Amino acid sequence: MSAAELAAITTLTLRVGAVATAAILLPAVALGLLLARRSFRGKALVQALIALPMVLPPVAVGLALLLLLGRRGPLGGLWSALGIELVFTWWAAAIAAGVVGFPLLARASEQAFAAVDPRYERLARTLGLSPLQAFLRVTLPLAQRGVLYGALFAFTRALGEFGATALVAGILPGRTETLALGIYSRVQLGEDGGALALCAASFALALAAMLVAEGWLGKETASEARSEPQASEVNPNRPQASGVHTNQPQASGARSNLTRPPGRNDERGDR
Amino acid sequence: MRSAGIALALVAIISKPAGAEDLLVAAAVSLREPLDTIARRFESEHAGVRVQLAFGASSTLAAQARAGAPLDVFVAADEESLDALAAAGLVREAGRLRIAGNRLVVIASADLRVPLERAADLERPELRRIALPERTVPLGHYAREWLARHGLLAALGPRLVSTEHARATLAAVDAGHADAGIVYATDARAARSARVAFVPPPAEQPRIVYVAAPLTRARAPALAERFLAALAGAEARQTLVAAGFAPPPGDASP
Repeated sequence: MSAAELAAITTLTLRVGAVATAAILLPAVALGLLLARRSFRGKALVQALIALPMVLPPVAVGLALLLLLGRRGPLGGLWSALGIELVFTWWAAAIAAGVVGFPLLARASEQAFAAVDPRYERLARTLGLSPLQAFLRVTLPLAQRGVLYGALFAFTRALGEFGATALVAGILPGRTETLALGIYSRVQLGEDGGALALCAASFALALAAMLVAEGWLGKETASEARSEPQASEVNPNRPQASGVHTNQPQASGARSNLTRPPGRNDERGDR
Repeated sequence: MRSAGIALALVAIISKPAGAEDLLVAAAVSLREPLDTIARRFESEHAGVRVQLAFGASSTLAAQARAGAPLDVFVAADEESLDALAAAGLVREAGRLRIAGNRLVVIASADLRVPLERAADLERPELRRIALPERTVPLGHYAREWLARHGLLAALGPRLVSTEHARATLAAVDAGHADAGIVYATDARAARSARVAFVPPPAEQPRIVYVAAPLTRARAPALAERFLAALAGAEARQTLVAAGFAPPPGDASP
């Protein structure tokens, strides 16, 4: 396999992952916030439905998408009217990747927001911030590490998506052939060398993503720790200063197992 | 948000729309090497044109075409795959042509120690796995017809392992995952360790024909027609013959 081919496949994979993650960012985080902050009838059902793309066979997700996005499906008339061709384009690969990545980001966001004591936000409101300002300046900064972890995991999941992608995007070299699809087709062709080269590229991307998770987002903890007093300024009920119980320190440390890197508890234990 | 900014920046950097002069050709995987040569030659004769080749089982590619894959040209290893597309109104019939023929061969893994010289030898107990594609794949259809002719299809039953397409069959035998397999004579040329065990006699050979056609949904119909013309040309015929393909059956010209 040529270096140009390897670069093109890697670039396409990154493009699919980036577009998928960018597309789900707002809805998944908003949904996570809703689930963390509101209780309503059927919430458990909503949570279960959100998790489905993560637990269903990816190829079943792919078939559902093929029906939804294809020209023969219930929305086929709509796509034709709009002149949109989705199936077997890299957009279809991005949609498939976004759908399977969505639960990771939504659930991680939900847990990150659930770990932020709502009283911070309420206090910020009493100090004159609008709901949006309170969310952007208080809640989101406190939850951002969990949200970013979710986004990163959704991104890495998107990079490796195979089953759903193979159905809706096919394996069209130069158009929809991502790393995962390329590895499969090369193994089928008996081109083990090419398959291994693509595996190496996947390995490098995955390792880079995990290093970002540990390094970059780990440092986030430090800046978050620095900014915490600022957030606490709006909170007169600091745990040490009053008898009022707040679960904030434990809650921050007790983010979901999904998103929490090992060893995080120790850093937080001293506060 | 920072990650959104990064994602958008990434998209801005790496987005590149496909060129208008791209031709996407779906082709039976057994045509891999000669079609690659033909496509590269076509590119060199048409400046700015890029020919992308999607190889697979003709049946799989046909299913993708029916599901809406944006293919410009289709090259199948049997008439039936193209007929199925034609029935869906996807084939520009005027441009349809036969480009080559082929033969079946039985291949053996390098590890196989027992003689494998005729159809009946496939029943030897040492052959625990025999690779060939599903019946829906042209090669699988041809190979199973041949086995059935010798009354072996039922007898071999569970020892037949289904592969995705011709080259996956070769790869399975090459890697020793299967003891023997049935592929096209041209595939066997790409073998790394597997060897041709025997070639069924001409009287038993199925009528294997490769057909090509432009598709009605081609984005660059004129370019698709020109590629078909190139496939029908003398240079392409030479490339195919050099790769071991026979002239299309029922074709009088050399």
